[in-house]
Amino acid sequence: MNEDFEVLLTDKRYEMISKIIQATTIKGKRKWTISDMLDKAFLDKYVGMPIFLAMFWAMFTFTYACSVPFMEMINMAFVWLGEQALQIIPNEYLAAFIGEGLIGGIGFVIVFAAPIAFLFLSIALLEDSGYLARAAFVMDRPMYRIGLTGRSFIPMLLGFGCNVPAMMATRSIEDRKDRLLTLIINPFISCSARLPIYILFAAAFFTQYAVSVIWSMYILGIIIAILSALLLRKTLFKGEPAPFILELPIFRRPTLKSAAIHMWDRTSVFVRKVFTYLLVGAVLLWLLSAFPWGAGVENSYVAMIGKAIEPIFRPLGFGWRGSVAFIFGFLAKEVVVETFAILFAVEGEAATAIALRGVMTPLVGYAFMAFSLLYMPCLAVFGVLRKETGSWKWTGFAAIYGLVIAYFVAAVIIAVGTLLGFA
Amino acid sequence: MILKVALTGNPNVGKSVIFNALTGSRQHVGNWPGKTVERKSGECTYKGVDMEIVDLPGTYSLTARAIDELIARNFIVEEKPDVVVDIIDASNIERNLYLTLLLLELRREIVVALNMMDVAKDKGYKIDIEKLTQMLGVRIVPTVATKGVGLKELKQAIVEAGKDTLDHEYGRSTHRHIQLSYGEQFEEIISKVSGIIQKDPKLTEKYSHRWLAIRLLEQDEDALEKIKGSSQEQTLLEVIQ
Repeated sequence: MNEDFEVLLTDKRYEMISKIIQATTIKGKRKWTISDMLDKAFLDKYVGMPIFLAMFWAMFTFTYACSVPFMEMINMAFVWLGEQALQIIPNEYLAAFIGEGLIGGIGFVIVFAAPIAFLFLSIALLEDSGYLARAAFVMDRPMYRIGLTGRSFIPMLLGFGCNVPAMMATRSIEDRKDRLLTLIINPFISCSARLPIYILFAAAFFTQYAVSVIWSMYILGIIIAILSALLLRKTLFKGEPAPFILELPIFRRPTLKSAAIHMWDRTSVFVRKVFTYLLVGAVLLWLLSAFPWGAGVENSYVAMIGKAIEPIFRPLGFGWRGSVAFIFGFLAKEVVVETFAILFAVEGEAATAIALRGVMTPLVGYAFMAFSLLYMPCLAVFGVLRKETGSWKWTGFAAIYGLVIAYFVAAVIIAVGTLLGFA
Repeated sequence: MILKVALTGNPNVGKSVIFNALTGSRQHVGNWPGKTVERKSGECTYKGVDMEIVDLPGTYSLTARAIDELIARNFIVEEKPDVVVDIIDASNIERNLYLTLLLLELRREIVVALNMMDVAKDKGYKIDIEKLTQMLGVRIVPTVATKGVGLKELKQAIVEAGKDTLDHEYGRSTHRHIQLSYGEQFEEIISKVSGIIQKDPKLTEKYSHRWLAIRLLEQDEDALEKIKGSSQEQTLLEVIQ
């Protein structure tokens, strides 16, 4: 016998199926449905892609516009709480810890529960309606042309929520090369944990273009992921991608209940993360930035760490604060935002966004956003990478590759921006 | 006594909707492959019967090549659920039945939920459920899970199928398993291999000999792994080469 046996048996099974269908099922005339009409437009060769980009832009506009008032409210509440803490608590260490570390750090990050909730609401609406599956289909065309399977795009779309489940979804990819490739490029897809960084920076530097700037980060993530896939396909994972068959679900009106469940699930994950990972981060960061006591942030332990690494980032101009933010951001990407909040709080700056403008130019800010998007997966993703690739080698490769790409892209942004006179 | 029930089906057939409806869980429902890559479980009670419902990854097939397919398959083979619920998208019945045929080979008690009947109707499909029941030899329940149609009947069918499994264990079973034939030429080879498998009680204790025989003939890597160390390993390898 040979492996043809499998093919022969498969044929036999389909033979049986067609007998069963003949005996049991009458197929009538198919009606032309609204779903078919929508697909005519959404899957069109020419307008499909612009529709996809527009949908995403609309998604971020919705997320940003809806969450700003909530963020303001939560922020005001915490600023007030922080002032109260500093006044009421008699012990000066404790007052500083609670006021600057906990309320200034954790309180500042919890504000981002609002945009995260709205982001997931819009993702859920797009997903439940059936549109996201179309997006995968639309992306398959350009991806296939450069030798990639659209199969990889589904985990990429899932990555907009969180890279961890997205990477687990690669298990449905049969071909080992395709799977490894998809795993390695997935961290480039901008997850919701990066959103707070974008919102903080976009609001600080690009007020009226904030939404477009945030959107551009997500598009940058997709582009880098695709280009990386292309590069890896031509070098380490030579070969043809497996063909991609995607079943398109019919368009359905999303139910509010299902969307609300999704939104609630993900937002509560974020809130839990704030009180675990980010709490640890806050305590650590505050201790390091408040001590030696009374020396000022510029001479604190955290500044020593930052200044030791800063030379690496000197060409990019991220400063020692940015350097430290990246180190701690490995814990979870929200910590990047938390770091700035605590550093500025200890310095006595109430508004992080305004204080940011004092230490970076808009161009550097934009490069910083790109670097945070690309530089290194967070701890959780690192763990999943190890588990799913089953090898430290590939995990290490993905991490180093990410760092190199991040540095390169940030440098290009600075260089091109300077040439164009944006510095 | 808790009935162990596994939910299987192709991706995107409403498996998670049915899982949520049965268990009262609030798992988010997605509409593309890969949503459920790890199994999730929940509980359900119907007419005094307690059930543990396990939601398996949605797959088109049960080969050993993709990890999600292997997870689904291994659960059914190794953990032997009392009832396997195969959820079928009625509007794509042809393609969905492929998995059903593979599940039948595993010889567990199967209940088919013929889901998305509304979509099938819109497509102009008319399915003779009674005839289909006869041909497959399993219980079939038409459902529209998103609207809650047929879920009570589905629970009833699961409980009845579970009873058949128990009866079978105590030797009281009258329930027949229909065996789909691959045709004379193939059946001859299959029974030759399964004859050899039956000589090793360690194998028959764990696996359906017919299922294992077919997998071996397909050169399935996982099946080859399963016969390692068996007294019949050498003979089997020679026959299937």
